[in-house]
Amino acid sequence: MTMPMLTVENLMASYGVVRALHGVSLEVNEGELVALLGVNGAGKSTTLKSITGILRPVKGSITFLGTEITNRKPEWIVKQGLSLVPEGREIFGSLTVEENLRLGAFASYQRDRYKADLKEIFELFPILEERFSQPGGLLSGGEQQMLAIARAMMAHPKLLMLDEPSLGLSPAMTDGIFVLIKRLREMGSTILLVEQNAERALEIVDRAYLLANGEVDFAGTAEDLKRKVDIASVYFGGDDAAPCEVPL
Amino acid sequence: MDLEFLINTLSLGSLYALLALGLVLVYGILKLVNFAYGEYIMIAGYGLYFSATVLHMPWWATMIFGVAAAVLTSYLTELAAFRPVRNKSANALIVTSFAVSIFLQNAVLILVSPRARAVQLPPIFSQTVNIAGATTPVRNLLIIGTTITVLILLSLLMKKTVLGMAMRAAADKFTTTRLMGVPANLVISAAFIISGLLAGIASIFWIGRSASVDPVTGAAPLLIAFIATVMGGMHSPTGAVVGGFVYGLLFNVLSITLPASMISYRDAFMFVIVVLFLLFRPEGIIKGGYTEERVG
Amino acid sequence: MSLYARFLKFAQKHSVLPMIMIPVVLVGIGVNVFGSSLLLNVYTYFCVSLIMVLGLQMFMGNSGILNWVHIGFVGVGAYASGILSTAPMVKSMGVPNMFPALVELNMPVIPAIMIGGLVAALLAAIIGYPLMRLSDFVGVITLFATLIVFHVIMTQWDNVTNGPRTFFGVPEFTTLTVALIGALIALVVAYWFRESGLGLRLRASRDDRYAAMSIGIDVVRVRYYGFITSALVAGLAGGVWAHFITSFSPKAFYISEMFILLSMVVIGGSGSISGAFMGTTFVTIGRELLRQVEGTINNAHVLSFEVYGLTEAVMAILMIVILIWRPGGVVGGQELRWPLFKRNKPSVTKEVSDGV
Repeated sequence: MTMPMLTVENLMASYGVVRALHGVSLEVNEGELVALLGVNGAGKSTTLKSITGILRPVKGSITFLGTEITNRKPEWIVKQGLSLVPEGREIFGSLTVEENLRLGAFASYQRDRYKADLKEIFELFPILEERFSQPGGLLSGGEQQMLAIARAMMAHPKLLMLDEPSLGLSPAMTDGIFVLIKRLREMGSTILLVEQNAERALEIVDRAYLLANGEVDFAGTAEDLKRKVDIASVYFGGDDAAPCEVPL
Repeated sequence: MDLEFLINTLSLGSLYALLALGLVLVYGILKLVNFAYGEYIMIAGYGLYFSATVLHMPWWATMIFGVAAAVLTSYLTELAAFRPVRNKSANALIVTSFAVSIFLQNAVLILVSPRARAVQLPPIFSQTVNIAGATTPVRNLLIIGTTITVLILLSLLMKKTVLGMAMRAAADKFTTTRLMGVPANLVISAAFIISGLLAGIASIFWIGRSASVDPVTGAAPLLIAFIATVMGGMHSPTGAVVGGFVYGLLFNVLSITLPASMISYRDAFMFVIVVLFLLFRPEGIIKGGYTEERVG
Repeated sequence: MSLYARFLKFAQKHSVLPMIMIPVVLVGIGVNVFGSSLLLNVYTYFCVSLIMVLGLQMFMGNSGILNWVHIGFVGVGAYASGILSTAPMVKSMGVPNMFPALVELNMPVIPAIMIGGLVAALLAAIIGYPLMRLSDFVGVITLFATLIVFHVIMTQWDNVTNGPRTFFGVPEFTTLTVALIGALIALVVAYWFRESGLGLRLRASRDDRYAAMSIGIDVVRVRYYGFITSALVAGLAGGVWAHFITSFSPKAFYISEMFILLSMVVIGGSGSISGAFMGTTFVTIGRELLRQVEGTINNAHVLSFEVYGLTEAVMAILMIVILIWRPGGVVGGQELRWPLFKRNKPSVTKEVSDGV
C-alpha cells in the first residue's frame, strides 16, 4: 500500500485552558474525497486550522507527502501543495475578483500557467469571468464561495481542504457546490471536506470521519457510515452520536 | 478665495497627508497604533544633520541619507520589537511602540545631545516665489509636488503590483492572506519600510520649516498623524490623505479666526473639535468595512 | 462548615491584601526607623506612586482601555489641592496672574486633598461619557489627545496654574506615614473595586464587549463609572503627591510621567492588584538604581559628555523585553494567593466521553 498523502496523528489542540481536540488521527489518500463530519464545536474547523498551520497544536504530528508539517507557518504549508478554503469564504472584499485570483496564485506564480489556469477557472465558473473586475465584496454568497474555491485552486493544490462550503448558502446554491466538489474529484483532485450537512456530504464522498467532542468517533466508508450511524444524531450530537457496536 | 491661503492650506495638507499615510499603512495591516512613528521623523532629521554637517555630503545626498535613516529605523524597530509581540494583545503592541519611542528619544539624547542641532537645507527651501500676486515659500510648492508624486507612485504600487495586492489583502484579512502563501513577515516588513519612507520624506519638509532637529522633534508630527488618521478614517489610505488635508484646512482656519489671546489654545481647540467629531462619526470621514469601534 | 473553616476560606480568598499590605507596612516601619533620608524619600515616593498606579489599574486593568488621561487627573488633583491649601501671600507672589477669588482660598491640607480628588472626579464625569463610547485605536488616540488638551490648558491657563512656570509654596504635609496610609487605603479600595459588581461587569466588558452587552451589561456606563472612580483616586493621589513635592509644573503631568506609570502597570501585569504592586516595586527599584548609575557615571567624568536619559532608555528596553517575554506582565492576570507556591497536582484532563 502506498503512503497516505496526509496523515494526522494524535492531534491535540486547545484554546487557552479549553481542550478542543483530544487526539484526532486521520488519513487522506491521493485521489480520495474524504469528509470530516460532526456537530458544531466537534473540532472540525480546529483540525483543519491545525493542519494549515493557523493554529498551533499542543501535541501530535501532521505529515503531508512524507514531510512533517506540524508547527510550520501557513505560507510554507501552502507552498507544499495544501490549500484551505476557509469557513465563511473569507473573500478579500475590497480586492477585485481578478486580484483575488491573482493572490491565489501567489505561491507558485508563472505567467503562462496563470493565463491558462484562468481559462480553466472560467470554464468551471463562468460567473467569475463576468465579474472579473468587480470587488469581491459585491458578489453574492454563492459566487463568493465559488471565488474562494477558485482562488484556492489557482495554487494547484495537491490536497484541497474545504471548510463548510455550503454554510449559509441557499439550497439551490448548495446543490451547485456539491456538484462542483464531485466534479473536482472526478478531475483527479484530492479533497478533504468539512461539513455539517452530513447527509449531503455522504452522497459524494469515498470515506468519512465522524468527530465528536474533539475525538474521532467513527471512521469508515460512506456506506458504512450511512448504514451504521443514525444520521440524525450527527446533527444533534450528544452521547448517542456513536453507537457502541461500531468498531473503530 | 485668497490664493495665498489656498497654497498654504494645500501645502500644509500635503505634509499632513504624508504623515498620516505612513501611520495608517502599518495600522491597516498590524492594527498597531505606532507611537514610535514620530521617532522615524526625528531620526530622519538627525540623518540630514549628520550627513550635511559631519559628512559634508551634497544636499541631494543628505536627503537620501535622511530618508534611508528613517526607513532603516522603521525596519529595525519592526524586527526587534514589533515582530516578537505582534501576536500579543493590542495594548501590548501599543505599549511596545510607546517604549520604542521613549527608547529612541533617549538614545539620541545620550548619543547626540539634548540641545537642538541646526540642519542645513538647500537655499531653495528658504526662497520665496510670487505667483499671481501671492507670495509663498518655494518649499510649499515643493511639498505639494512631492506629495502628488508620492501618492501616484504609492497608488500604482498598491494597485498594480502583487506586493500591493498582498498588502491590501492583508489589511483586509491577514490570516487568509497567509493561506494564499503570502509570507506574513514580507507584508509587515514592507508596510514598515514604506511607512519609514513616508516619514523620511515628510521629515525633510517638517525639518525644512524650522531648520533644526532635537530629540523630541517627532512628537508634534506624530500627533498630527494621529489626529488626521482618526479624523479621516483608520481603515484606508484614502481616509488618511483626506484626514491630512481636512486637518490642514482646520489648522489654517483656526489660525486666522482665533483671537490673538486664544491662539495658544489652538491645539486644544483642534483636538476638542476632532473629539466631538469622532463622537458623532467614530469611523472617520471615510468609512471602512467596519463599524466596530463604537459601543452603545 | 465550621466557623473556623469558613474563616480560613475567607482569609485565603482575600489573602492577596495582607500579603501585600504586611510587607509594605513592615518595610515602611523599617525605613522610618533605620533608613537614610534618601531611602525615606524613595519609599514615600513609592507609596505615592502606588496610589497613582492602583488608580490607573482600577480602570485600565479592569476595562482594558489604555487610559492616557490618568496622569492628567493626577495633575488636576495636585493643582486643586495646591491652590486650595497654599497661603494667599505665597500665591499672590508666586502666581501673579491668578484670579483673585482663587488667591483668597485657604484651607487645611486634608480637606484640600479631598476636594482635589472630587474636582478630578467631577471633571471625569463631565468629559468621560462620550469618551467611553469609543473603543480600540480611536479610543486610544482620543484619550491621548485628551491628555494633550489637559496639558495645553495647564501650560496656558496662567490665571490658575501659573502657566508653564513652577507652582511653588504648597505646604508640606505628606510624610512617609501619610503616604503609607494612603497606599493601604488605595490597596483596599482597588481590591474592593475589582471584586465588586461594577468591577466584575467591567472585566466582562474587557474580555468580550459583545458578549457582555448581550447579557445586559451597559458597557459604556460601567466604563464611565470606572473612569470616574479611577479619576477620583488619581486626583487624591495628585493631592498627596503635591504636598510631598511642594512645587511642580505641568511637565510633571505629561507623557514621560505617564510612561513611568504605564510601565509600572504593564511590567507587573495590568490585570491584577498584585501586578500593579509588583510593577511599582520593580520600576521604583530599577529607576533608583539606574539613576545612581547615571549619577555615578556623570560625576566620575569618565565620559566626555553627560549621559542624560540613560534611565529612561534602559527602562524602555526592559519594558519591551518583558512584553516579549510575558505579555501579561510578571504577575499576569491572577492575584497572588496564599500559599504562594502550591505543589501542582497532576491535572485530570482526560474526559470520559463514551457514556456507555
